[in-house]
Amino acid sequence: MSVPVGHYQYDQIDRDFLEARIAEFSEQVARRIDGSLSEDEFKPLRLMNGLYLQLHAYMLRIAIPYGTIDSKQMRMFAHIARHYDRDYGHFTTRQNIQFNWIKLEETPDILRDLATVDMHAIQTSGNCIRNVTSDEFAGAAADELVDPRVHAEILRQWSTLHPEFTFLPRKFKIAISGSPHDRVAARFHDIGILARPGDDGRTVFRIFVGGGLGRTPIIGQEIFDSVPEERLLATLEAIVRVYNAHGRRDNIYKARIKILVQALGIDAYREAVEAELAQMDLEHYRLTPEMVDAIQARFAVPELSAPENAAQELANRQRENPEFDLWVRSNTHPHREAGHIIAVVSLKPAGGIPGDATSAQMDRLADLADEYSFGELRITHLQNIVLGHVRQDRLYDLWSSLKEVDLASANIGLIGDIVACPGLDYCALANARSIPIAQKLGARFGDASLQAEIGALRINISGCINACGHHHAGHIGLLGVDKRGEEFFQITLGGRAENGASIGTILGPALPEDDTVDAIARLVDRYLGIRKDGETFLDTLDRLGDAPFKEAAYETV
Amino acid sequence: MKRPVRVGAGEKLVLTANRLLDGTIVWRDRLGRWRPVIGAAEKLDAERVGDVLELAQIRAQEDGVVGVYEVAVRDVDPPEPVTVRERIRAHGPTVHPEFAVETVQ
Amino acid sequence: MRLFELGERTAKVHESLVTLPELAENTDVRAVLLDIADDPAALKPYLNRLELVVLRFPIFRDGRVFTQARELREYLRFSGEIRAEGHVLPDQAAFLKRCGVDSVVLPEGSDPELWKRQLDRFPVAYQRSVLPSRPVGAGLRIEEET
Ligand code: HEM
Ligand code: SF4
Repeated sequence: MSVPVGHYQYDQIDRDFLEARIAEFSEQVARRIDGSLSEDEFKPLRLMNGLYLQLHAYMLRIAIPYGTIDSKQMRMFAHIARHYDRDYGHFTTRQNIQFNWIKLEETPDILRDLATVDMHAIQTSGNCIRNVTSDEFAGAAADELVDPRVHAEILRQWSTLHPEFTFLPRKFKIAISGSPHDRVAARFHDIGILARPGDDGRTVFRIFVGGGLGRTPIIGQEIFDSVPEERLLATLEAIVRVYNAHGRRDNIYKARIKILVQALGIDAYREAVEAELAQMDLEHYRLTPEMVDAIQARFAVPELSAPENAAQELANRQRENPEFDLWVRSNTHPHREAGHIIAVVSLKPAGGIPGDATSAQMDRLADLADEYSFGELRITHLQNIVLGHVRQDRLYDLWSSLKEVDLASANIGLIGDIVACPGLDYCALANARSIPIAQKLGARFGDASLQAEIGALRINISGCINACGHHHAGHIGLLGVDKRGEEFFQITLGGRAENGASIGTILGPALPEDDTVDAIARLVDRYLGIRKDGETFLDTLDRLGDAPFKEAAYETV
Repeated sequence: MKRPVRVGAGEKLVLTANRLLDGTIVWRDRLGRWRPVIGAAEKLDAERVGDVLELAQIRAQEDGVVGVYEVAVRDVDPPEPVTVRERIRAHGPTVHPEFAVETVQ
Repeated sequence: MRLFELGERTAKVHESLVTLPELAENTDVRAVLLDIADDPAALKPYLNRLELVVLRFPIFRDGRVFTQARELREYLRFSGEIRAEGHVLPDQAAFLKRCGVDSVVLPEGSDPELWKRQLDRFPVAYQRSVLPSRPVGAGLRIEEET
């Protein structure tokens, strides 16, 4: 059996554990159906296994640890979509996949099917440590210092059915990156970790706590700047222990760690964590080099080799075909290895539903991953799919195949690459629908050369203040609000998740859906009219402030 | 999710829930049966709804439903929910016309 | 009151159980009930005479009990019995045991069989707990004494 590239290979011990978890969940479902568990008692138990009750049906969220899957796993998603759902799935910003039309009675079967490819829904919801997210270019990006996925896997394992941290005050999200270009929004997580190589050949971690979006967006603060690998688990235990003991449980809107960190101040929080560490038996919690190396050994590394002229081939193709050239410019990223490139497949066709993929598309992506990228796929936090290790001389063939299944939109990082939460079409908590406005915007700016002309511009849409669409972090953010039963959208400008993370500011009064789309079109026009050479939207905004945009947006209203 | 429901002029209330086994949205008819189409729902006056709701909640496990609550509707046939949220529940997601739900049988 | 033992230790019924503030005056009492908001470190002066610490779940979702138990075992090295009571589910049996709880006051209508089954559910764990353990296979995985 071949070891998968890019993610941890299970062995029999891991599989037995998973089987036990499925047996447990099946019994919980049975107890719910026979009435021995009330809905109030069952709810946290089902959430802990990714099962929601949404507007129309149950929704199952399946974990994609650190966003990496192999082609077999992708085909399993296609199977689940076809068999148990309505032939599609939704990739989320937290590198999970959601199925929207699930039946409670069928969930044990789905989990058993998933387990045949070492997948599960463990801790994709609930007040526990959630699926650990990581850099979508891990192990491939030219700018990377360490591949964070080995430590992401360690965190996944450590947090799985953690006896002390399964009933936290609120959900708990951890992200880890190994690149100086933070591609995981580390400072918008409960714990954000930046990994780098240490002097002793082991890894060192810079740790942020208390970041988050939601109704109180807060940027995480540094708690430790150099945690040695051996102390990683002890440090995380201590951070989460302080939170579990002292986080608020009286008000769910104030229950995240960010509120506790704000209340205590980062210095006091650090002292509390150090006080825990001083009492802990550190040897007991030590993450030894042997443990790390053993887990690392279960990741296959792709054997990269490309012909000398690969880069030249690619350049030739780009010259010959302007459409391909446009796609290469927006949808690829430099690879660490000569002759290779990272390809990003957009799940944002103009007018489509951001992040949705049909079973046929999933199957096709799996085939293409086998053909072009060692069977490995990654889900990005912007709801796209990455093929990490493509040979440059074969990129044109890959693109041609993507075109056949409508997956060749050239819009990564551009205005068409819209992030939207499920909104009121699916979500029981929503104020407004996020998808239709995303579709209208996507269609309005659908033209690839127009998008290239506009340049880097990110739109994020959330259907309510919970901010699942990260609207605070969007260059243009849209937040659905309810005005006397009607759907309105509040516009924010200037958010960003990258280095120097900041939260967008509100532009003016909320507008109805169609007016919002028009306002954004005018605002983008204004930007094109006033930008200086080489300026991105954010540059222009930083230079001039939001006054010109406000004027444009509210011109005719 | 329990939200206080205000009933305006020309409006009534209907009871809704999700079926426990498959999550299907259901509406309570005048015989107390849970039906998948809003057209079958019994329209109640604000004064009566409290008692019917309480009874339905007590019987939820037995009836195989979960999350029983009341929804304000316009008093037409089939009843049309007042809020966007409940209209989407009654008709299906607006972004997938192929999944539209029948409102009468 | 039905007691369920999570491990080897035999659960013992005590005549009197007092709260933390009452502990100082009642010098002969050997059992204390900690409130969910109490800091276990406050028990430090009394550890020598205490035989039982009862932790109470106001609702099963309140996970502070797990940290309280762990602090008692790991930081204070309390070697007496730790018991959980209140609204607690069989689905939490192994978590409790792994955090150092010895016994549970079974809620009304509980089926002890379910509790037993939960204790034997998982063959391995992915993180250290207060129980003695040995590594299984490579990496983080351990088997614990049952
Ligand atoms: C449709 C079902 C969903 C429900 C019921 C739901 C619920 C919530 C709630 C209640 C919050 C606020 C939590 C807090 O601030 O304490 C939240 C935040 C969040 N959700 Fe969702 N969500 C859903 C779907 C999604 C999807 C599809 C994504 C990804 C596309 C997502 C990703 C996130 C993220 C990243 C946050 C904010 C970041 C943070 O935790 O601070 N959620 N969600
Ligand atoms: S932001 Fe609000 S509407 Fe959107 S998925 Fe999250 S909870 Fe639902």
